[in-house]
Amino acid sequence: MTTMTLTREAAVRAPRRMAGFWPTSPALMLLTVFFVAPVLGLLLRSVLEPQPGLQNYVEVFGSTTYLRVFVNTFVVATIVTVVTLMLAFPVAWFLAVAPRRWASLLFAVILLSMWTNLLTRTYAWMVLLQRTGIINKTLMGWGLIASPLPLINNLTGVTVGMTYIMLPFMVLPLQSTIRSLDPATFRAASLCGANRLQVFTRVFLPLAVPGIGAGVLMVFVMSLGYFVTPALLGGTSNMMLAELIAQLVQSLLNWGLAGAAALILLVVSLGIYAVQFRFFGFKAAGEVE
Amino acid sequence: MTRPFLSIRNIEKTYGRVVAVQDVSLDIAQGEFVTFLGPSGSGKSTTLYAIAGFLQPTRGDVLLGGKSLLSVPSNKRNIGMVFQRYTLFPHLSVADNVAFPLRVRRQPKAEIDAKVAAMLKLVRLETMADRMPAQMSGGQQQRVALARALAYDPPILLMDEPLSALDKKLREEIQIEIKRIHNETGVTILYVTHDQEEALRLSDRIALFNAGRIEQLGTGHDLYEKPASRFVAGFIGNSNFLHGKLSRSDRSITLPDGTAIQGVALDKVGPGQGDVSIMIRPDHFRLHNGEAAPRLVGTVTDTTYLGEYTQLTVLTAWGGALSVRLPPDDRASPVEKGQSIALTCAPLDVRAF
Repeated sequence: MTTMTLTREAAVRAPRRMAGFWPTSPALMLLTVFFVAPVLGLLLRSVLEPQPGLQNYVEVFGSTTYLRVFVNTFVVATIVTVVTLMLAFPVAWFLAVAPRRWASLLFAVILLSMWTNLLTRTYAWMVLLQRTGIINKTLMGWGLIASPLPLINNLTGVTVGMTYIMLPFMVLPLQSTIRSLDPATFRAASLCGANRLQVFTRVFLPLAVPGIGAGVLMVFVMSLGYFVTPALLGGTSNMMLAELIAQLVQSLLNWGLAGAAALILLVVSLGIYAVQFRFFGFKAAGEVE
Repeated sequence: MTRPFLSIRNIEKTYGRVVAVQDVSLDIAQGEFVTFLGPSGSGKSTTLYAIAGFLQPTRGDVLLGGKSLLSVPSNKRNIGMVFQRYTLFPHLSVADNVAFPLRVRRQPKAEIDAKVAAMLKLVRLETMADRMPAQMSGGQQQRVALARALAYDPPILLMDEPLSALDKKLREEIQIEIKRIHNETGVTILYVTHDQEEALRLSDRIALFNAGRIEQLGTGHDLYEKPASRFVAGFIGNSNFLHGKLSRSDRSITLPDGTAIQGVALDKVGPGQGDVSIMIRPDHFRLHNGEAAPRLVGTVTDTTYLGEYTQLTVLTAWGGALSVRLPPDDRASPVEKGQSIALTCAPLDVRAF
């Protein structure tokens, strides 16, 4: 009897649930065919090519060349995240407290740069940073330096280019958090005897943590897998993981090794995401209201 | 008052052409409870913020114990404050919130712990030391804010409409707490509110603000019984305002229907003569019982029995509506709607502006 009721209920409920599900099927199918399947295919190739087994992973973890790429990827992502945070904090604070007109103007500038083509923006930095670029020419014209500074095809170039691209992804969650803070809280802290530095470190900063968490997560994970900017502004000595994968696929046609590297990148990214999610919950995990 | 403890001298604050506070002066004695009462935008909060150091007055000075406070930054003023909104630090527990002002002053841990315990006892929240602010009711949060503001023994405690977000019952409960804490600690309190009942209940003296100025400064009794202006009379308590003619030589006032009130107190009717605005409190009316007193006739258009008194609306012969409160002993002969009624009042209770 009980079983029958349950089955009937399930039978009644299932179509209703499906009713809300069906309209999403074209999108899901598209994602399955063009995204999930190729990714799975690549990951499968990492354990199937050239023959079944884990030899690709042994090679990736065993070689110092690949290890250097991993380390470099983390170093670059960390530097970019820290520099972005330091630049984004004052911008976000300004956006949150400035008069509406100024804030919306700055907001428009940030969004506009975000909507501009990534490649265009990266080439713009190439023009600015190269040996005969505006920056080097100006500095030399003023007599501040005798020979052009090496600003491109190295870590400096990558950091400058990527920080610029990542800035909005840090500013937006930060300013949303900062704007939700009540200025009266800081007045109270000040009247309690806290000087400016104490108000900042003991009250403002702890309350901004959810925004910092969200921004840092987003920028760090995006930086880990970044391709275009490091490829154009970076040098051969500090290759990043995404570049390595591209090279393995395009030049060496080693799909198995590329799949192994891709899986490692995926696992690390999801791992960071999980840690962040655990500490800060939904809001910090990239959900910005 | 020999030397005032806190002295506010000719404070003025302008924003462009808008004058928020104009020539406000006030001396406050140590241990006094003074309330800034007034409608919103009357300058009471602006004055308080000038004392707290959140804004710099355009002119004037604030002296504490004879020394000017204006050049001292907020965090060095050593003033306690409870805000209208909940300003507890949401990432700190109740005990850590109360300890905050002591920690930024780098006091020894043992002293801080003892002081936090004493403060939580003062506001009767000993059992809630480990709670987070979000887990507490609005009333509890404001009590913690009070404990935090008093933890560093400030000479002055500022309170900016601290109870306006609470419901009436809770508000009255915390008013009693504030009164008790004022008695126990002896701290000088400056309290801002727009609620006259709250002001009357709590304060030693009330400064009634209007349009950026202090309209009248005095005890609650002074403000109610001897209002200095029509604004004060209208703001504190309920009032009836009637048109009338004042004759100083006869010491009489004539109402529009010809009723003459003889023997008014000249010191209570202001400097005017001729057409004046007359004020009679609703509870100063009595039923006329045939004695030789002014007799004002009208028709009852509404009655509400409220236990302690009966509230009447009386339409006068000239078409004005009077608000009348009759005490319980006049209730014996119940007044009915539509009935004609004769009222009187003591000439000494009549005021004119």
